[in-house]
Amino acid sequence: MESYHNIGTSLDWIIIVIYFIAVTGFGTYFSKYNRSTNDFFFGGRRFAWWLIAFSIVATGVSSHSFVKYSAKGFENGISSTMTYMNDWFFVPLFFFGWLPIVIYSKIRSIPEYFERRFSKTARAYATVFLLAYIIGYIGIGFLTLGKALIPLLPESFTLFGFDIKVTLTFIVIVTAIFTGSYITVGGQTAVIFTDLVQGFILLFAGVLLFVLGLSYLGGFDTFWHLLPPSWRSPFADFNSPPSFNFVGIFWQDGVDGSVAFLFMNMGLLMRFMATKSVDEGRKAATFNIFFMLPLSALVVGSAGWLGKAISELNPNLISPNIKPDQVFIVVANLIAKPGVFGFIIAALLSALMSTVSTFVNATAAIYIYDIHQPLREYFNKKKGIKDEKPKNDLGAARYASIMMTILGALTVIPFAQFPTVYEAHGFFHSTLTPPLVVAIFFGVLWKKFTPAAVVSSLIGGVALMILGARFPGDLIAPLAHGTAMDPSHPFIYIGALYNTLACALIGVIVTWLHNPLKNYVSKLKQNENVKSIIIAFDIIVVLLFISIIFVPLPLAILLVIDVILFLLVAVSSTYYVKYDEIKQTDGLTIWSVARAKELFKGSKPNEVEGDKVKVSWEVIPGTDDFMYFSQSDMEKMAANEGDLVYITDARKFLGGLKSIHSVFGKPHFEDGKVYINQEHLASAQFVDGKILIAEKEM
Amino acid sequence: MIPFSQTWLPFIYLYGVGGLFFIIGMIIINKSKSIDLTRKRHRYWNKVLYFGFVYFAVMHLVMILAALYL
Repeated sequence: MESYHNIGTSLDWIIIVIYFIAVTGFGTYFSKYNRSTNDFFFGGRRFAWWLIAFSIVATGVSSHSFVKYSAKGFENGISSTMTYMNDWFFVPLFFFGWLPIVIYSKIRSIPEYFERRFSKTARAYATVFLLAYIIGYIGIGFLTLGKALIPLLPESFTLFGFDIKVTLTFIVIVTAIFTGSYITVGGQTAVIFTDLVQGFILLFAGVLLFVLGLSYLGGFDTFWHLLPPSWRSPFADFNSPPSFNFVGIFWQDGVDGSVAFLFMNMGLLMRFMATKSVDEGRKAATFNIFFMLPLSALVVGSAGWLGKAISELNPNLISPNIKPDQVFIVVANLIAKPGVFGFIIAALLSALMSTVSTFVNATAAIYIYDIHQPLREYFNKKKGIKDEKPKNDLGAARYASIMMTILGALTVIPFAQFPTVYEAHGFFHSTLTPPLVVAIFFGVLWKKFTPAAVVSSLIGGVALMILGARFPGDLIAPLAHGTAMDPSHPFIYIGALYNTLACALIGVIVTWLHNPLKNYVSKLKQNENVKSIIIAFDIIVVLLFISIIFVPLPLAILLVIDVILFLLVAVSSTYYVKYDEIKQTDGLTIWSVARAKELFKGSKPNEVEGDKVKVSWEVIPGTDDFMYFSQSDMEKMAANEGDLVYITDARKFLGGLKSIHSVFGKPHFEDGKVYINQEHLASAQFVDGKILIAEKEM
Repeated sequence: MIPFSQTWLPFIYLYGVGGLFFIIGMIIINKSKSIDLTRKRHRYWNKVLYFGFVYFAVMHLVMILAALYL
């Protein structure tokens, strides 16, 4: 494969450096909006849909980056768009199931949902899986950053007399330090605003590159007819080759990837949780999926398509044997003038940084809410400290961001073993997402899904997945829809179907066995040695799990071992977990979304539709979370005392940056005026003399 | 000529199997009453959801026809 170095001019580097300084400064400015961990992670649930929709572009585009889609666009053509246009199938369940549940249940992380819906053990497992998932995403981001930068840099340089080789590891370390620093300072508001700007620039840069490419080739017609016929199809071949085929990518990305992206991607969910309401979240998601994803598909893949057309026209300009992950940089350098090339590269690199920083922020949130705070509560309980005032964990959140950046950088090592970023990401997705996808999906949709079932499906499912990896020809091939097995990386994509079915099967079996399991555990509890028996079961589970990974036994015996393993896990979970199905499904499944809304408000929601009103504001003493409007204004809003209100600066371009949620207090008689307290002002940062718009939330 | 296995077969599979997931999702949100069609806003979202499915199917249809005949 042909590798490139030293691409670009001094002017390009100057533009890249200026761009990065501007973006970092912009992010740092918004750190003033972080007054608590809630602001740091969720931006205070205040933003308008359009702001979130554009901020998602930079995150979404770069996570499915220019580098990997240009590579696949070069190798396969327009079918590189497949993954951007298969996300609608699970949207109904997201819009009217998961999104309202996440917002109304006020969970701060997905593992917290697992504790409330199932048990603390389920939360612990979910934390491990989710951290692995998001840290893996950070790793993919760093790997892509590294691969994008290599062609721009020399093979080595001398600094203070030392000869430094520019390797992937070197680039990853440098970019990790840079990325970590701005997320650590800025928080979610910084991420949202930098992503907003970068979203626009990214789309502009991508479209610009496509237009320049068409002009370079002599127009769309020439471009289209230079592409070999099979490069023009929006789909890859149904089941071949193993490295890129339709059916595998449908299950890996269209099913598991879409569910994972919408349901368990904390980075994305935190964006939706930063919108001012559920309806705004739906609008942001719709706009993103309808318009931004197809546009993004063009933006990220077009360099590969152009590269293929140029290569067909003149193989000396772009070698057919070019390293696929370098196609984007090489094509951009060929068709853009110095300076413009620098701008395009700056947009690419900063977009990748957006993805990485979003996920660093998300992992830090999980660390704070699912590890740091529960551990502090546990130790306080042990020491007998009661009613300690909740601490502001901003400092810990920043240290967590640094820690997660380092961990993400380390995961580059295994991912670098794959031929392209696309395949590394595909394998990562089809392996890590199915257990949590099944757990969240069943948890939200199936009231009968029990804590024992979720833990068994996670542990037993992973054991079955390991067997799938050990015996792909026996276990995955029957589900592979005729896809051939590549011995070096067997069933990268279609493995997702097997992994999902494996976890789902165990979940269903254990749920069906709920009553027999309860009866068995009741009988077991009558035995005076019950604790010892359960501990013995747990030890056996560990030994069985180890044997599934390492012991060279025939498949049939290992499958029996897996059955024993998940049944023992189910017994152990049923013994340890006190589960109240009515309480633990109340407002936490799709069957009780209305109840979730009621719990969110604390009383019956007022669904009468009202108008928005414009008001001026004045600060009064007090600390209670009430805002006081006139009787007439409240009538216009169809609001009653105790209803929830959202109030924002009337300047729409701010997108809700200066806004806050509160509760309607006792009405007064001064129309067009709202009385707020100092705490409201500090959080919303309203500007003197500026009019506000208020609306009833529910 | 682009083979059937790279055009109409993936299209049928995508909107057949994907459509099944979509319809199951629609049935669940209706049965669970999480979408309340007596509310104007929810009726709007109901239409958006169906429109989205057709929107992507038509977009893929046009792209296949362009690949085959343009």
